[in-house]
Amino acid sequence: MSIEKGKISSQQLLFLIAGFVQGSALLIDFAVGITEHQTWMVIIAGLIITAPVVLSYVLLSKMFPGMNLIQINDMVYGPFLGKAVSLYYIFFFMMTLSFNVRDVGELYMTFLVEDMPFVFLLVVFAATCAYAATKGLEVLARISHLFVVSGLFVIISNFILLIDQMDFSNFLPLFELPFIRIFQGIHIMSVIPFGETVVFLMIMGCLNRTELAAKSTFFGLLIGAVSLLGVAVRNTAVLGKTQTIWTSTSFQSIRLINIGTVLTRMDFLVGIAQTVLVFLKCSIFFYVLSAALGQLFGLTSYLPLVLPIAGIEVIIAATVFQSPVDHAMITQNAGIIYSVPLIFIFPLLSIVIARIRGLPKPEGGKEA
Amino acid sequence: MIFLLLIYAFILIINVPGLIKRKEWRELAAFSFLYVIAFALGLMYVLDIPIPSPMKGLQHLIVDIFGIEYPQG
Repeated sequence: MSIEKGKISSQQLLFLIAGFVQGSALLIDFAVGITEHQTWMVIIAGLIITAPVVLSYVLLSKMFPGMNLIQINDMVYGPFLGKAVSLYYIFFFMMTLSFNVRDVGELYMTFLVEDMPFVFLLVVFAATCAYAATKGLEVLARISHLFVVSGLFVIISNFILLIDQMDFSNFLPLFELPFIRIFQGIHIMSVIPFGETVVFLMIMGCLNRTELAAKSTFFGLLIGAVSLLGVAVRNTAVLGKTQTIWTSTSFQSIRLINIGTVLTRMDFLVGIAQTVLVFLKCSIFFYVLSAALGQLFGLTSYLPLVLPIAGIEVIIAATVFQSPVDHAMITQNAGIIYSVPLIFIFPLLSIVIARIRGLPKPEGGKEA
Repeated sequence: MIFLLLIYAFILIINVPGLIKRKEWRELAAFSFLYVIAFALGLMYVLDIPIPSPMKGLQHLIVDIFGIEYPQG
């Protein structure tokens, strides 16, 4: 029996995915230091590579209607191996959520409220996301379009306000960087903003109609990718080569907005938009992590788990990395390597095994 | 320390009575398991006891043992 009773529409799934990908707008900075002015290319390449994989998640969830990832793993790999695979996914959800919570803390500590205790920021943010997760998937889905529209508004308005400072020769020369750096950049993009949508395997089983799921997933991914592309193009066009030396390229470019000395210091807009978008992403992660653990423990409700999970996440977020540099170094290597099986291999393997074994067996049939 | 105790007392108060009242023992067991881990981690953090980073371990496994790493620079 699935732990989630609520249902969402395909349109809501579209906005959830778009908002989730937009929530990674800050994280493209992990690639900027590696791919410099060619970041826009690796975003497009990452989307092209990951879109079929993400669409395979839709296929998998259509093969197992009404089931979440934990139930699918149990059915495909059997109760023991299935639990091991599920624990691997839960570890990934837990780590990724803590990184995102930490990102918000680092953002505030570096740019907005430098004197605030780091752990206090993490507690407040995690508690807010945990509260949203307790309201359930339907509530998150109902408000997701507001997050996406406000994110798009900020990205587009900043782009327009910075047009006079853009120099499109900053994108030249094309294809200058060595292949291995482009490959690493594509790896970062295909895992962090796009591949993390594997969390939706916990959600797709709640769709009320699955016919439009593939279309909604693709367009959600596309809206998210266009938002990231807008941010990357703006940062490169405004900052050029210097974008690699800043901690947050978005903040640095927005700080250059100066319209008649009236519209200045607009970086708070990025701060607000980024907080709102990461909030949606972290709330989805909180929901997914709690539901996954609840399903693994065989509970009827995930709600009692949300607050203890928030407590664990805060401490992991506060201690997992020593500094933003440490954060970037580990994410650019081990962080993107250990998640490859979860994003690219297990879902495809599950489809192949399910096809070979003829799963799910019809009612009354013998199941694994 | 005071804040930690207050926060965890609050979490206990809003979860446990309902679970006992509804006789949801499995939920209570799962809650208690995670609650103990969360409280122990919080206590270690407050007392400045070093908490091992899972990502450091993973980095060691992937980079140092398996030798999988992107070239730097």
